[in-house]
Amino acid sequence: MLTDPITRPSSAPARDAGTKPAQPILEVIDATHAYDGVVALDNVTVRAAPGEFLTILGESGSGKTTLLRLISGLEKPYRIGALRLGGVDVSEVPAFQRDCTTVFQNYALFPHLTVGENVEYGLKMRGVPVAERRTRARNALELVQLADKYDRRIHQLSGGQRQRVALARALVPQPAILLLDEPLGALDEKLRVDMQVELLEIQKRLGMTFIYITHSQEEALTMSDRIILMRKGKIDQEGPPTAIFDRPVSAFAARFMGVENCFEGELIELSGGQAQVQVGERRLRGRWSGRSIPKVGAKVAVGVRAERLHLGPVAPTAPDHNVLPCGAGGAIYKGKYLDRTVTTDIAPIKVRIWNASAVTDQPSRVWWHKDDCIVMDL
Amino acid sequence: MTMQSRSDSPALPQRRPFAKRLLDGLKPSRLTVPTFLLAWSFLVIAPLVVIVLFSFLQVKAYRVVYTPSLDTWISLIDSGRWMAAVRTLRIGITMTIIEFVLAFPFALWLAKGCRSKTVKAMIITLLTIPFFLDAASRIIVWRSILGQTGAVNTALMSLGITDAPIDWLLYSEFAVHFGLLGTHFPTMVFPIFMSIALIDDDYIQASQDLGGGPAQTLFNIIIPMALPGIVAGIVFTLVPLMAAFVEPQLLGGGFVDLLGNSVNSALQQLKYPTAAALSTVVVALLGICLAVLVLVTRRRYDMASMFVAIRR
Repeated sequence: MLTDPITRPSSAPARDAGTKPAQPILEVIDATHAYDGVVALDNVTVRAAPGEFLTILGESGSGKTTLLRLISGLEKPYRIGALRLGGVDVSEVPAFQRDCTTVFQNYALFPHLTVGENVEYGLKMRGVPVAERRTRARNALELVQLADKYDRRIHQLSGGQRQRVALARALVPQPAILLLDEPLGALDEKLRVDMQVELLEIQKRLGMTFIYITHSQEEALTMSDRIILMRKGKIDQEGPPTAIFDRPVSAFAARFMGVENCFEGELIELSGGQAQVQVGERRLRGRWSGRSIPKVGAKVAVGVRAERLHLGPVAPTAPDHNVLPCGAGGAIYKGKYLDRTVTTDIAPIKVRIWNASAVTDQPSRVWWHKDDCIVMDL
Repeated sequence: MTMQSRSDSPALPQRRPFAKRLLDGLKPSRLTVPTFLLAWSFLVIAPLVVIVLFSFLQVKAYRVVYTPSLDTWISLIDSGRWMAAVRTLRIGITMTIIEFVLAFPFALWLAKGCRSKTVKAMIITLLTIPFFLDAASRIIVWRSILGQTGAVNTALMSLGITDAPIDWLLYSEFAVHFGLLGTHFPTMVFPIFMSIALIDDDYIQASQDLGGGPAQTLFNIIIPMALPGIVAGIVFTLVPLMAAFVEPQLLGGGFVDLLGNSVNSALQQLKYPTAAALSTVVVALLGICLAVLVLVTRRRYDMASMFVAIRR
């Protein structure tokens, strides 16, 4: 029976001995980097606590991979305040001496070595005796459910199996931090969902710090303890998944977190977290979730999720609802739900209807509760 | 039922022209293998067999005597010409090792270290120069540089470093080695450069990331993955080295007899069976060298699967 597949050898010092739990295991302070004059990272500061699953979320070109490469040492930053791993400044330490390993996006498994030799590689580099590294490699392969593939060659494996080998190879040296660069990006949908769960289980079991890069908000929300949302080399928002999901600070964060309807407007009143915004001819009310309190008259964004909208011939008259007259638009059938677009005098609005039988052909009103309406920075 | 009626139906596809059907029917392997074997046996293998057979014949009064005899081979051993074979093998292997030691770091730098594309293109162009200049005209220049009254000795003596001219600079094994150096450098660099350039940077970075220092990455990743190129470089360098005749002739000054110039002089003296016997020795030695190379590399690495792996 599998008890603890990756046990720390008694000879290795316990990493967390003597350190306070409050001390971050990773600190990147004021990192700036540019490729050929294009700024990839702009004064970014990131900290991770031991055992944390930290996700760096962003579109391609947002600087998330650059950040990861700075941490691993494969890229030398243009300017950096400090880069500390486990409290020690490693900004001048070469990649091969840093206590972190990477699961590469394309896995980068060595094609001339067997699966087992690939997994052992990190231990071989550290001079671990053959017998011990063989045992530890077998244990790691067991952890990713590939114990029987030890002697296979890499090109004999499927995409999912390669992903697992890459994970095992990075886990075996027991790094302080595991860096994962969109590791599930090349897998098909079903495998990806399975691997999300598996990765999470492995992370909890080993108590290892994971820095996970992805462009998928769904992946970030499912797996992370904390999310850092990046935009154009800067951090747009950071916080636990629920905070980012419920309280995006900007229109960018909101769209990234799947807020389908975003409008631009002018702030009229803001008190006690409640905002009133003039959007076109309409006045909408919602809760303020932006970074700082803006002046009245400032341009702000108003967002509402499609599934929080209601359609019908008659709107409720209670004052805590935003109500707009609307006309019928197109509809897209998605299986579990129906995405309907209605036209309003502000903009077309996307409405998600879960009960397809409850669809009215000609809705005249669309409404939503003001608590479901987010007002934030543009 | 439907299957039956379909196959019976007279609506057969229209017969296409014979040539077209023939072309369509040919698979690349069906075409390539026989063509290659036919051409190669006609162009290369047949002459080789003739050469080997010829070494058992004799020439008397400018006429070939078609009676098999071992006379040529016996005289080869008696006259001490077989020493040329040993010398050729020694110089060939020494030069291959020297070329490899020089070429590998250079190829590594050219493939992975050189960031400027212009510099890279320039170096590759420069490396092809030995291929478009005649060997004899290139080599003869060294006589005036390395000779007793050559540039090097004149400079050394006028600087007072030596009193008398250094005589081992020309017409010596040193001179032959020196002359062979430039000619056979590109053939070692190019295959190694190509195979290192094909190694994805990700593999090198993954090795670093997993704790592999520069030397560990070199020996565990770069050299094994560049092995096909290294083997090709060794073959393309060793084979012409075993047959080199310009350099030993022009820079050896009669003191350095290699198989290549022995064959050449035997041909000039119309001793065809001797030339044939010497050529047979060259071919045999090469065969042995390559067999050893294949055995050594195959014991450690599976070359065929490596080519498969690199393609991926």
